[in-house]
Order: sequence, then structure tokens, then C-alpha cells
Amino acid sequence: MPGRTAGAGVVAPSLLAIGLIGMAVMTAGAAADIELGRYLASECMACHRAQTSASAIPNLTTIPREHFVTVIKAYRRKELPNPAMQNVAGRLSDEEIESLALYFSTTKQP
Amino acid sequence: MTELTRRRFGILTGASFAAASTPLFAPHVLGQGKPKLVVIGGGAGGGTLARYVAKDSNGAVDVTLIEPQKNFTTCFFSNLYVGGLRSFKSITHDYDKVKKSGVKVIHAAAMAIDRDKKQVVLAGGQRITYDRLAVAPGIDLKFDSVHGYSEAAAELMPHAWKPGKQTELLVKKLNALKDGDTIVMIAPPNPYRCPPGPYERASMFAHVLKTKGHKKSRIIILDVKPNFSKQALFMEGWEKHYPGMIEWQDPNMHGGIKSVNPKTGEIVTDLGSYKAALANVIPAQMAGKIARDAGLADASGFCPIDPDNMKSKMDPNVFVVGDASIAGDMPKSAFSANSQAKVAAMIVRSELTSSRAFPARYNNTCWSLIAPDDDVKVGGAYEPGEGKIKASSTFVSQKAESSELRKQNYQESVDWYNGIVADIFG
Ligand SMILES: Cc1cc2nc3c(=O)[nH]c(=O)nc-3n(C[C@H](O)[C@H](O)[C@H](O)COP(=O)(O)OP(=O)(O)OC[C@H]3O[C@@H](n4cnc5c(N)ncnc54)[C@H](O)[C@@H]3O)c2cc1C
Repeated sequence: MPGRTAGAGVVAPSLLAIGLIGMAVMTAGAAADIELGRYLASECMACHRAQTSASAIPNLTTIPREHFVTVIKAYRRKELPNPAMQNVAGRLSDEEIESLALYFSTTKQP
Repeated sequence: MTELTRRRFGILTGASFAAASTPLFAPHVLGQGKPKLVVIGGGAGGGTLARYVAKDSNGAVDVTLIEPQKNFTTCFFSNLYVGGLRSFKSITHDYDKVKKSGVKVIHAAAMAIDRDKKQVVLAGGQRITYDRLAVAPGIDLKFDSVHGYSEAAAELMPHAWKPGKQTELLVKKLNALKDGDTIVMIAPPNPYRCPPGPYERASMFAHVLKTKGHKKSRIIILDVKPNFSKQALFMEGWEKHYPGMIEWQDPNMHGGIKSVNPKTGEIVTDLGSYKAALANVIPAQMAGKIARDAGLADASGFCPIDPDNMKSKMDPNVFVVGDASIAGDMPKSAFSANSQAKVAAMIVRSELTSSRAFPARYNNTCWSLIAPDDDVKVGGAYEPGEGKIKASSTFVSQKAESSELRKQNYQESVDWYNGIVADIFG
């Protein structure tokens, strides 16, 4: 949905205001916003929380950032099979994926 | 997006931070003590909400959770206990970690909500003041929706739609059945908690009978609905795993459910009568009493909410999450309650601590076990739209899927269960 995603221009002042500017990172033109990442990540935590050796659902805090972005984008393009994940990834913008990746890569215990 | 939401989420459309952080309510004035959130009900919705506000506000919000039970047995996965695939202990959780995460837990029932004074009145008369209140009491059963049924009758014909003793009673009765006995389930009208739940339960009944070698027993589902969730998948699975054992009757087939007799086990429909050795009567449902008594429900018995934030349409200081709410296209599930609670938690924090608010997003996936390792799923992504929580995309398992895929679904559901109980209870 256009207008619902955080563009680079509007994120910077808010991050400044809450003192998180150091956490804002730009990759491939998409801004990563850790507060947005934290909120979006709460959706993931319903399932991706308690990994065991037999798990079908991975723990996201151990996934390297670039790998996270690659995998979510593959789900978004429906190139990876799971419909639940295609559904989740389908509505994420590039900025949101970057924000999630930043959040997970910098947070040990969500 | 409405004008209101555009203002609320102004930060995302270019407004200044100061304007965006004070959209409708001034944040709590510093120096007056911590802002207070009170949560009624420590289940999937309330437990999640309390923990997320405590965790994400780093102690800036004083969070109190009011829940009478010291141990919470989940309805979700209770069908696996019915099927002998989980222990009762494995679906029962305490509040120790919730307390450790900074939430004050009061084990008492909330008796009333004084919305004018912004206070919750406890069973002992104690009053607890709030700045924001979240109400998540789950459902109450409309016992009189089935003629002859009552709360007392549930001791003989369990509903087991609220977890705990009822589920144990159901399992006791199931295990006492002899070959040739009949199980009758009365399935509830919409809207109710867990749309695929009755059919997953019937599958687990069948699994137990099959395991015991009961070839002559039958399971009859008398439904008041013309169709049900994941119907094609259940029907296919029943034929595959339990041929001839489960008979589902829609209203055209039984003509209407007339009455139940808890003493004799007799169940009478317009077109027939059954003698049930085990009757599982799941009546119609409504929001928990505390929400209805506080004037938060409408004529439907459930609580209308603003899809942007899960606030009650009756009171902007009160949030309603979980089964008690009217959540548009979202089913009443633990997954949904958990998802709604996260939206509400984000808005509560933004109002009480000036943290940022983001557009609401909701999600749900419901797994159902038809037989061991044969698990199907249905799910959706949801957003505010057309004045309700609207599905933006949905999916459902397909018929004739490979057994590997179905087994993987089951493993996913186990991971989900472990994940969500950690999300709710810490
Ligand atoms: C058989 C069955 C199977 C299910 N399977 C699944 C599944 O696989 N997946 C899924 O997502 N969902 C499933 N569900 C649905 C799920 O259990 C509910 O949707 C979910 O628990 C709703 O959460 P809630 O917070 O609204 O209510 P609940 O989890 O019921 O919590 C409500 C809490 O409020 C407390 N309370 C009530 N009144 C008061 C008061 N006055 N004061 C203080 N506290 C109060 C209660 O004690 C209770 O602890 C299933 C349900 C059933 C019956």
C-alpha cells in the first residue's frame, strides 16, 4: 500500500528525535529503520521463537542480515514455497525488509 | 487511509516527529508517576499485550495483569491432548516469566470496570486505576443456545471449549468408550473461537477410536452451519484415515437440533434421535462477561473495535483484543489474539510514552491436525480497510498434498506452539 512505507526522507528526522540516528543504515537505496523493524518483527515472533534441532521454523536472530534479506525477497517473489511465508513477505516493502534485517541482526533477545 | 489515521501515522507521510507523537492524546506528563496500563485476562491476547508493553517500554509503563488462574491451559493444542498426542502438562503454563518481564500479575477476577473513574474493581473490592485498559477475557458460552443444555449439563456433556477441567472430563469420557459407542458433537454457529477446532477435535476422537481398534463406533457431527472451515481438506482426510467413521450433518440433513438430555445422553434433531455415549456440545459464544457488563459489546455479544488500533468503539481509553473483539475478517484464534495484542501494545506505548506508532498489520495462521503427521493450514494477512480488519491475502492447504508437506506442516505447528507460548508467557 503506497504511503504506508517509510521512505528515507521521513525516517531521518524521527530517528534524530529519538536518538537512534546511529542505528539507521542505508543499503541499496532502502532505509533501515530499527523502530519500524522492532514493530514488524513482533509479527515474526509468534512462530520464530523457540528453535529446537527438529524445528521447521528457524530462529531469526541467528540469521546474517544479507541472508535474511535474500530469503524474504525470494518468498516475496514466491520463489520459495511456504504459503504462510509468502503471505508475510508479500506485503513487505524493501525498506521494511531492511528494517527487519537490521532489527534482528542487532537484537539478541527480541 | 482516513484523515484520522493519516494524522496518527503522520510520521510516515512526512509530518514532524512532534506532531506525530501527539496525535490524539497527550503523552503522560512526566512527574506524575508512571503511566498505567491494566490488562484484564492473561490468555493469548492479554498475556501478549502485557508482556510486549512491559518489554518494549523498558519499564516506562506500569503494567498490571489481572488473571484469576495461576496456571493457564491453552485451548490451542488441547485437541492434541484429546488425541493422546500431548500431555495435559505440556499445554499448561504459569505466569512466573511474565512476572519476571516486569508485569505485576494479580491473581484475581476483575468484577467490574468503572470507565468514568478509569478503575477496575477486583473480586475483593480493591480498585486499580488505569490510564489505558486492555480487556481480553476471551469468550463466554451461551449455554441456552442448545435446548436442554446448561452449565450444570456441561458436567455430563462437556463442551471443552474453555480449557482445563472441561478438557480433562472430555478425555476421561473418551477413554471410557466401548467399541460400538456413538460420539455426538454439536458444532457451534459463527462466530466462535477457532473455526476449524470442532473438526480437528472430531479427527482426534477418530484417531483415538482407530488406535483402540473400535471398528463399530461412529462420530456424528450435528452442525448448525451449511459448511465449515477447511471442509474439503477434513472430508478428504476423514475418508483417508477413518473411512465411514465420521458423519457430518448440515442443517438440511438433520433438520434442526431440537434438544439434548444430559441424563440419558439423548440428542434429538428434527429428523432423528441419537444416544450418545459421549456428547460434546459446543454452544454459541459471546465476549467474556466483564466486557459485556462494562458496555463494551454490541447487540452481537462481541466488542466492536477500531481496526487501526484495537481500541473499543465505546471508549478510547479501552482496548479489546482476542476472541472478545469483532475483528472483521480475522478468525477467533490464539494467533489472531496475539497479533491484535501487538498492534494494541504498539499504540498503548505510543500514547503513554511517545514512542512511534506504525500502521496496524495483522496476521494469522491456523494449523489443524487430521491424523498424526497429516496437518493442514489456513492463513491470512490483514489490514484496516472498509472500516474493519480486512484480509489482504489468504491461503489454504490443497487437497492431495504430499505426506512430506503435511508432516512439515505438523512440525511447523509444533514450532508455532512453542513460539507463541513463549511470546505470551515468556
Ligand atoms: C479446541 C480448541 C482448539 C484451538 N486451537 C487453536 C489453534 O490451533 N490455534 C489458534 O491460534 N487458536 C486455537 N484456538 C483458539 C484460541 O484458544 C483462542 O482464540 C484464544 O485463546 C483467544 O485468546 P483470548 O486472549 O481472547 O482468550 P483466552 O486465551 O481464553 O484468555 C482469556 C483469559 O481471560 C481471563 N478472564 C476472563 N474473565 C476475566 C475477568 N473477569 N477478570 C480477569 N480475567 C478474566 C480468563 O481466565 C482467561 O485466562 C483453539 C480453541 C479451542 C477451543
